[in-house]
Amino acid sequence: MTMTKSRRRRATTIIRYAVLSIWAVIAFFPIYWMVSTSFKPSTQWFSWPPIYFPDPPTLSNYMNVWLGAEEYDQAQYAISSQKPLISMWNSTVIATTSTFLSVLFGSMLAYGVSRYRILSEARMFQLLMLRMIPPIVVVAPLSLYYSALGLLDTRIGLILVYFLTTLPYAVWMTKSFIDEVPREIEQAAEILGASRWRIIFEIILPLIRSGLVATFLFILILTWSEYLLALIITKTQVSTLPIELSKYQGSTEGRVYGRQAALAVGITVPLMIVGLVIRKHLARGFSFGMVRR
Amino acid sequence: MARIELINLNKSFGAVQAVRNLNFTIEDGEFVVFVGPSGCGKTTTLRMIAGFEDPNSGEIRIDGRVVNDLEPRDRDIGMVFQSHALFPHKNVAQNIEFGLRMKKVSPEERVKRVREVAEMMRISHLLDKMPGQCSGGESQRVALARTLVTNPSTFLLDEPLSSLDAKLRRELRAECDRLHQELKRTFIFVTHDQEEAMTLADRIVVMRDGEIVQVGSPMEIYADPVNYFVADFFGSPSMNLVPGEFVRTGDGLRFRSASFDIALPARFETVSPGKGTLGIRPEHVRIDPGAEDCVHLTVRLIEPLGKDTLLYFDVPGDRAFVAVREGLHMTDVRIGQPMAINLDAHCIHLFDGEGRRIAVPRVA
Repeated sequence: MTMTKSRRRRATTIIRYAVLSIWAVIAFFPIYWMVSTSFKPSTQWFSWPPIYFPDPPTLSNYMNVWLGAEEYDQAQYAISSQKPLISMWNSTVIATTSTFLSVLFGSMLAYGVSRYRILSEARMFQLLMLRMIPPIVVVAPLSLYYSALGLLDTRIGLILVYFLTTLPYAVWMTKSFIDEVPREIEQAAEILGASRWRIIFEIILPLIRSGLVATFLFILILTWSEYLLALIITKTQVSTLPIELSKYQGSTEGRVYGRQAALAVGITVPLMIVGLVIRKHLARGFSFGMVRR
Repeated sequence: MARIELINLNKSFGAVQAVRNLNFTIEDGEFVVFVGPSGCGKTTTLRMIAGFEDPNSGEIRIDGRVVNDLEPRDRDIGMVFQSHALFPHKNVAQNIEFGLRMKKVSPEERVKRVREVAEMMRISHLLDKMPGQCSGGESQRVALARTLVTNPSTFLLDEPLSSLDAKLRRELRAECDRLHQELKRTFIFVTHDQEEAMTLADRIVVMRDGEIVQVGSPMEIYADPVNYFVADFFGSPSMNLVPGEFVRTGDGLRFRSASFDIALPARFETVSPGKGTLGIRPEHVRIDPGAEDCVHLTVRLIEPLGKDTLLYFDVPGDRAFVAVREGLHMTDVRIGQPMAINLDAHCIHLFDGEGRRIAVPRVA
């Protein structure tokens, strides 16, 4: 029996959505579990059969982790030598500063590559190759240099290493946006008397702002959640959120899953808020073509 | 004041020689149009004058001063681009104001001059709009205004009208002409459109393969093309060009091809026999059964254009032979009908085997 065209189309749609739904459930389950666990009282963290909805939901995990509330117990104290709020502040300062520097210098470098070919295709590729070196390889020399320079366990140290390691991404991404800006727009500004710097800051960068925002978020995600380099460079003075979170994994005083989840939610939410705030730019930034030719 | 001299200019991009040994002087206040097919080097020449391309050799002088090493912004020129090149993130007023801001003109003065120029270009109602909200014609007016406001001594226009439709193009062409009359500045206009060149220019510079082929007033270029290329390029419909042979017979020189065998006027007496091309503009082809020495051709197509009617005749080769008649008087002509035509002897052009004009003084 042959199906009509419209029935066949509907059947395809149903199958497609069924597959996508199953995939979505699999993909989102860990996130759901994290959020759910963060609201569970300690008795339900390990219960079997698992409890899917906290009953009753409690904020005690959040109070504990983020505010160091009255229930502040021995286990928590042992895990963290620093309150997570301080780590949050460190992460914010380090991630935003290094990302800002990376996008700023990356876009200027990209301008040079796009307009003056200061780097050949091969050099540009080598730049990206830098990122293909596993970070663990550079850990030993880096910590040697850093201890010699007194940069270990400092915010500056982390900012510097994040800035340098994300710079290739910034160059590559912003270059593709700058390439989209017609040369004639720039030349029009030039012949009207604008200097090179003014052209960059008054014409090029505003025109690719959506691209800059997209690049900024992309690099912010990388630096915000970077773990390995932070683990090596930070000791006791400066700790970032991923480091803080990892301490729960190694805890010997018992698994405090609820609090770990509460911390994890706290790490995730700021990025999601940033993403939501700039979503208009993201859609535009990732789809190019905002400059009318 | 701006007298622009181009002296032995050469420019190549890799293996491609875009401009070859170019020598030309543009007088102050002149409207010069560089015209030619794409890739002929006209835009490269303009961009060298602007300072966006450095010549490989040669000099560019503005009012006697060599400007090769000057930045575009220091050459006192304004440029209008084919793509308009408005700043998409600034509104029309900010676009126009940009050049004044770069010249550190005071804010009050800027507002005043932007308003004046907007009025002059009839775009006052657009000042608060973004370029994306302007139509093609409006954008080009804004681009002109943005250049105008800085009051440069020379205007460079790089195919500014080619992205517009026919009606707007005519309108803005008139606008360019008006601006030139009012401002009395030097205008250098680049186009591939021969009609634009004919209507705008004081002098036309025809370029091909990086070289100047002919310089002259529009009428000189039209009436006296130096070679096959120029003859073919100017005029719409273009000149009829019939390949054939010059043959000397007892009663003088004749032109022969598959469909033609006509006597050539006495002024061509000195022409040596051999292969060549006969050229005649469609308006100089007469339909005249009574004339002696007429040629019989078959009508292939009739194109009534309103004001004129074009008749296409069958001749061997890939070009049709065209005659133009005023008005719509050809309604009784049928396709396939043979007609007797005759060429206006005063207006015949001859080109030799290499396509060069056979220069013989014209009899009045």
